[in-house]
Amino acid sequence: MAFLEFDRITKRFPGALALDGVSFAVERGSCHALIGENGAGKSTLGRILAGVHRADSGEIRLDGRVIHPTSPLAARQLGIAMVHQELAFCPNLTVAENLCLGDLPRRTLGWVDRAALRERARRMLAEIGADIDPDAVIGTLSTGREQLVQIAAAVGSGAQVIVMDEPTSSLSSGETRELFRLIGELKARGITLIYVSHRMEELFALCDHVTVLRDGRFVATEAIAATNQARVVRQMTGRELLVQTPAHLTRALGDEFLRVENLSSPGHFSAVNFAVRAGEVVGLAGLVGAGRSEVAQAILGLDAAATGRVFVRGRELKLGAMDTAMAAGLGLVPEDRKRQGLVLPLNCRENAALAALPLLSRAGWVDRTAERALVGRYAQRLRVRTASLEAPISSLSGGNQQKLALAKWLARDCDVLIVDEPTRGIDVGAKAEIYQLLDELAGEGKALLVISSELPELIGLCRRILVMREGRLAGEVARENFSEHGLLEIMAGVAAA
Amino acid sequence: MSPPAEPRATGSPTPASPKMAFGRMQESGLVVVILLLGVLLTVFSGSVQTPVFAPGPDGLPQRVYTTNASGESVPATVEKNKFLNAQNLAQLAKDTSFIAIMAVGMSVVIIAGGIDLSVGAIYALASVLGALTLREFGPGADHILLAPWVGVSIGAFVCIGVATLCGLINGGLIVALRVHPFIITLGAMAILRGIAFVTTKGQSIGGFPPAFRELIRYEVGNGLSLVPLAVMLLVTVLGGIFLSRLAAGRRVYAIGGNELAARFSGIRVERVKLGVYLISGATAGIAALLALGYYGAATSGDGQGYELNVIAAAVVGGASLTGGKGSALGAVLGALVIQMINSGIVILGIDQNYSQIIIGAVVIAAVVLDNLNTWLARRRPAASA
Repeated sequence: MAFLEFDRITKRFPGALALDGVSFAVERGSCHALIGENGAGKSTLGRILAGVHRADSGEIRLDGRVIHPTSPLAARQLGIAMVHQELAFCPNLTVAENLCLGDLPRRTLGWVDRAALRERARRMLAEIGADIDPDAVIGTLSTGREQLVQIAAAVGSGAQVIVMDEPTSSLSSGETRELFRLIGELKARGITLIYVSHRMEELFALCDHVTVLRDGRFVATEAIAATNQARVVRQMTGRELLVQTPAHLTRALGDEFLRVENLSSPGHFSAVNFAVRAGEVVGLAGLVGAGRSEVAQAILGLDAAATGRVFVRGRELKLGAMDTAMAAGLGLVPEDRKRQGLVLPLNCRENAALAALPLLSRAGWVDRTAERALVGRYAQRLRVRTASLEAPISSLSGGNQQKLALAKWLARDCDVLIVDEPTRGIDVGAKAEIYQLLDELAGEGKALLVISSELPELIGLCRRILVMREGRLAGEVARENFSEHGLLEIMAGVAAA
Repeated sequence: MSPPAEPRATGSPTPASPKMAFGRMQESGLVVVILLLGVLLTVFSGSVQTPVFAPGPDGLPQRVYTTNASGESVPATVEKNKFLNAQNLAQLAKDTSFIAIMAVGMSVVIIAGGIDLSVGAIYALASVLGALTLREFGPGADHILLAPWVGVSIGAFVCIGVATLCGLINGGLIVALRVHPFIITLGAMAILRGIAFVTTKGQSIGGFPPAFRELIRYEVGNGLSLVPLAVMLLVTVLGGIFLSRLAAGRRVYAIGGNELAARFSGIRVERVKLGVYLISGATAGIAALLALGYYGAATSGDGQGYELNVIAAAVVGGASLTGGKGSALGAVLGALVIQMINSGIVILGIDQNYSQIIIGAVVIAAVVLDNLNTWLARRRPAASA
C-alpha cells in the first residue's frame, strides 16, 4: 500500500477549476516531483496537502488513514510541513525565536528561557547541517538561508512529509547545491518529499517519481528512470498550441516606437539597450529576479533611481514621472494584478477608466457618458464577463479581472504597451483570448513588449525575444531560432546567444 | 433621433448598478436610522411647558399673560414636545453644521486612506487668529472707520487661510517625511493648539464688528440660524461634486483603495495627498469662522475633542479607515446621527457624563453593522451562484 494517496482531489477557485479529480500515490521516503505548467494546479495540490487550502472534494490518505489537513497547524500535527517560496516567518524575530515560536521554552511566570531557546534552535539547525546563527534576525537572511530555516523547522517538528514549492526559484547556484545535498539526506532518513517545480533538470537530478498535471488534471505518474525530459514536456504541454501563428508576423514593421539606451538602476539592472518598432511584439524573458519587471517600471518612470535614456517615437522622455510617460504614449499592464493593477474597492468601470482619466475629463470634470462608452467598448472587445460594469471588481474571476486590467490600458490608447505576465493565474480559455488580443494590437500598429515567465507563451507570440539574466540583457533570439531549451540556457547563463 | 446604441459589456445594460444601489442603500440606511432616532426621541422625551412670546409694541418679543381660573394674571404657556419643536430642531441643525462641515473634509482624508487628528486644533488656531483679526475691526478699535465688510472679509480670509495653510503643512510633512499621517497630525494637534494658547495667553478674544455677528446669526422663524445650515449644505454639495464628479475625486478613491495601483496608473499620489489634507484644513477653517460669528468669541480651548466627533461622524457615515470608501453626504448624515444622540441624552434627562460612553458605543456599532452588511452583500451572490 502506498504511503500517501491523493484520491479524486478537486479544488475550485473563483473563475477557475484548479484541480479536477486528481488521484495518485506517493511512496514512503521518495522524492516525488509534481510538475506542470503555470496554472496546472501543482502548487495548489501541495498547498492542500499542507493545509493552506482545503479541497472541495476528494480525500487524502496517509499510511492508509484518511487525513484532514484543515490548517497548516493541523497538517504539522499530522507530520506534514511545507517550505514556502515566500516569507513564512516573522521577519523581525530571530531564527531561534521563529523556530520555537509555537512552543517557546519558558521559566516561571512566563519568562522566556533564552539560553534554552538558543540551544534548541542550534540543535534543530545542526540536525540538517545548516550553519546559521540562531540569533540572526530572519529578515536579514537570504531567501536560500531562510528556506534552510524552514526545513530545520519542518524536520525539528518531526515532519514525515515535506512539501517544497519551487524551492530553487530564487536561490543562487551555491544555495541550490546545498539544498540538493540536504534533500538527499532527508530522503536517507525516510522523509517523503513532494517537490513542486517546473524545472526539468532539477527533477531528473533529484526525484524518484514524477506526477504530471495539466490544466488541473492528472496526466501521468512515472518513475524517473522510466521516462525522459522530452516525454514529460509532451505530457505537460500535450494540448493543441495555444496560439496559431500570430497574424502580426506577416505584416511589415513600422517606425521605431520605443528605444531604450543604457538604462540602469542600481541594484536592479544595468546598461539595458533595446528598441521596439510599431507592429512588433518583442518578448522579455528571464528568471525571477533577473530584472525584467524593474526595467519595465523604470521605462514608465516608476523607478526614481533609474538612469539612461528612453525615446518614444524618436523623442526623448523625461524619466521619473509616470504621467509624463503616459502622455508620451507609454502604458504598462503590471505583473501583480491585485497589488499594482487594480483598486479593489472601486468598481469595474472606475478601474478600467483610471488610466484614461485625463482623456475623459474636461476642466477636471469626468465626462461620465464618455467614460461609460469607452469602458463599455473595451469590456465588449475583451469579452469581459460581468453582470454589470458597475459591479465590484473583486466579484470577477481572475481572468476577467486581468481583462479589465488590460482594458484599462487599451482605453488609454497607448502607442507602446508593456504587458508584464499578462496571463498569470488565469485559465486556458482567457489566456487564448488575451493572446488573440495582443496579436490584434500589434496588427493595429502598436509596439508591444511582453514580459513572461512562460516561455511557450513568448515563443508563440513574439517576433523576437530578449533574455535578461542577473540585471543584464544576456541575449536576443529571433523567431526562426526560438526554442525553449535555447532560451533557458541563456536565462540560466549556460550559453550566450 | 436617437443615436445608435453604444456597444456594452455583456450582461445587464442598465446603468443602475449593484454598487450604486448599494451606495444609495448605505445612505438611505442612515436616513432610516435618523428618522428612527427622531421618532424614539419624540416618543420618549415627553413634553415641556414653554412660555408664549409675542411681538410687543416695540417689536421685541414679550411674554403673553393670561388670567387663570382665580382671576390672577399668569404667564401663558404652551405644551411642546421636548424633541420635536422648532427651537430644538433649529439648535440641532446649527450644532450639526459645525461638525458636519469638518466631517466632509475628514471623509475626503479618510477615503484617501489617511487620517487627520489635528482638525480640532486647526479649528482652535483659526478661531483665535481670526478673532484677533476681527477684533481689530470691532467697536472701539482703530480701524473702525473702514467699511464693515472690509474688516469682516479680512477676518474671514485670515480664519480660513490659516486653517488651509495648516492643512497644507500637514499634507506637506506627511508626503515629504513619509511619516504615517496619524503621527504627523497627532503632533500637529498639540503644536497648533499650543500656538493658539501662546498667542492668546489663554484669554478669550471677543469684540467683533457687529455686522459680522449679525450676518452669521441671521435667523428666521423660531431661532433657526440659516447661515451655518446654508454653508453646511454648500460644503456638502461641493464635497459631493468633488468626490463623485471630478477626476481629482476619483483619484482620492484610487489612492485610498490601493496606493500602489494608483501610482501604477500614473496618478501623482503625493499631490493628491497634499490636496486632501488641505481640504480637511479648509473645512476646519470654515467651521471655525461660523462658530466665531455664532458665539462671538474664541479661546485656544475651542474645539477640544472635535477631531473625535468629526472622525466618528465620517465613520458612522460610511467612510472606511482602510480607505477607498465613503461619501460627503454620508459624513453629514453621520454628523447628524452623532448630534441627535448628544441632544437626545440631554432631552431624555440622561446624565451628561454618559454621553461619551454612548457615542463611543454607537461608533463601534455603526462600523460593525457596516462590516456585517458588506459581508452579507458579498455572500449573497456566492450563495446564489
